[in-house]
Amino acid sequence: MKIELEKISEHVGDTGDFIKLNVDKCVGCGNCALVCVMNLWLMRGGKAQLKDDYTQKCLECAACYSVCDVGAIDFSYPAGGTGVVFLKG
Amino acid sequence: MIVVGAGPGGSVAAKVAAESGLKTVFFERGRKPGEKNSSGCGLGPRMWREFPEMMKKLTPEVAPSLRKAACVVNHYLNKDMEEIAIEMYYPTESVTYEPAKSFITMNCYRSEFDPWIAGIAVEAGAELRTSVLIKDLVKDDKGKVIGVQTEKGEKVYGKVIIGADGVISTVAIKSGLNPRWRPDQITLVPQYDFSADRKKIDQMYGPDGLLADAADGIWYGTNFPAAYQVIFGDGFHIGLGSWMGQWTANPISFLNKLVSCKPFQRMIKAIDAKPREVQTHLLPWTQEPVRTYTDNVMLIGDAGGFPCPLEAEGVFPAMETGKLAAETAIKCIADGDTSKQALKLYEEKWKKASVGIEFQAGESMQTLWRHLMFSTQSEENSMEWFIPLWHELRGGFYDWSEPHIVRLRQIIKKAQEYLPQAMTFFSKYMMPVLTDAMGDQISLMPQLMKLMEGMRPRPKKK
Ligand SMILES: Cc1cc2nc3c(=O)[nH]c(=O)nc-3n(C[C@H](O)[C@H](O)[C@H](O)COP(=O)(O)OP(=O)(O)OC[C@H]3O[C@@H](n4cnc5c(N)ncnc54)[C@H](O)[C@@H]3O)c2cc1C
Repeated sequence: MKIELEKISEHVGDTGDFIKLNVDKCVGCGNCALVCVMNLWLMRGGKAQLKDDYTQKCLECAACYSVCDVGAIDFSYPAGGTGVVFLKG
Repeated sequence: MIVVGAGPGGSVAAKVAAESGLKTVFFERGRKPGEKNSSGCGLGPRMWREFPEMMKKLTPEVAPSLRKAACVVNHYLNKDMEEIAIEMYYPTESVTYEPAKSFITMNCYRSEFDPWIAGIAVEAGAELRTSVLIKDLVKDDKGKVIGVQTEKGEKVYGKVIIGADGVISTVAIKSGLNPRWRPDQITLVPQYDFSADRKKIDQMYGPDGLLADAADGIWYGTNFPAAYQVIFGDGFHIGLGSWMGQWTANPISFLNKLVSCKPFQRMIKAIDAKPREVQTHLLPWTQEPVRTYTDNVMLIGDAGGFPCPLEAEGVFPAMETGKLAAETAIKCIADGDTSKQALKLYEEKWKKASVGIEFQAGESMQTLWRHLMFSTQSEENSMEWFIPLWHELRGGFYDWSEPHIVRLRQIIKKAQEYLPQAMTFFSKYMMPVLTDAMGDQISLMPQLMKLMEGMRPRPKKK
């Protein structure tokens, strides 16, 4: 069964940037890319890279931030009233 | 009193505080409570025991998705994802109170539950501010927390600040109570919501359905962490989780494997279900809560690591700790002392309460589960012997393939293959739980020994 995740999640408003990667700290372990359900992290040249349109897709679970052993990922929730909306949470 | 977060914990804290006359404000980053939250969301009966007046008001009128799950269906899949056993369990005879005798959980979407329970706090006089993200805590020159700061820079001051802001808790981080979770303290839980035909759900899982009121399910397998299914009025959730360091592939791939397998597809077809929403959320699943209080601050619910150590039931613990924290705040504000020493009262209260009793066996309970249905991605995959052994023991005898005595020999022989792993598992992970439950003179054991003595083989009649 193929489920297209982007078609079954909803986002509202202008979130602003809420995830930041400190490239200098990143050791390229790939933990963030492994756990991101929406596949928003890529590994490029031995470093993680966040997709440009992540603010429109992120489910705000903070898994990337939580598995980053070296603390290279800065996560805060998006602006109040914006971002992912769970209609049937 | 300031409460950060309008989930079940924050709303109960705000209600109890406001009722006592405390000026109470609670903040929610969503446009309305619930829209940021994802949960099973099966509500446990202790909610009805501890909050009877409130829970009486949770009816289908206010929560149309409400569905009673009087029973849990266990599905067992083998390594080829074929269903080899199904069991159904209604509450057992040893359950002591209503409504726990009548249901395992009441199921209700968070998008209905959270606004409802926040509304009760507002009715009690608390002020709810939505679409507001709390970014930081305000501290005095001694470093003590005296308020919160919104993303827009507005500062709001309070005598007591309650962190009800869930697993990634700004209050826990900024107060220093829990700067960061260890990977073995939190799980990642992806979940799908499926829409389904209400009538067809009723025909199968409704009170008069084929599987009467069996609106909870667990899917066990050898190559995915155990998944829960929670059925609502017109849809269901299917989700699974594991601790942060344990994933060997993208978490959603395990869920996709399950929803694609034949037995699951059969169920989907029977109730005409379609994927409606994807959600992912972290869930604390720890052996003990974090430090839960400091000067002027208390942590409740997920922010404090309160979901139960065995199955991570978290809504009731959030509500219970919310109530206890608010009661503590009321007393300490009245006494004019909200220092760390005074707020220790909160810890004393929760340790004596239902949540605290649960954590008396926190280590053994969490360890047991971790090494059973959540071990599927590790070398010690316990489900590889547990499922076939369970299948043999429960289902093997009622089989007409051979004379029953021959079947029994076959079953015993097969079971013996799994016995070394099973016995090691029993002594390593089950015994600590039994010891926690029964104390050091496990009183069941001598009785069992006596029984075993009487079980010597009888001399055979010629
Ligand atoms: C997938 C999944 C399935 C689960 N299934 C069940 C189940 O079936 N039964 C059960 O009992 N438990 C279940 N749990 C656990 C349960 O959902 C949680 O334990 C419970 O929701 C905790 O309640 P809470 O009030 O502490 O936190 P939450 O419900 O997380 O509420 C926190 C609130 O704070 C808001 N917030 C967070 N940060 C800020 C901020 N900085 N500023 C403003 N607002 C903020 C959030 O938007 C949210 O509304 C499940 C959990 C998950 C993830």
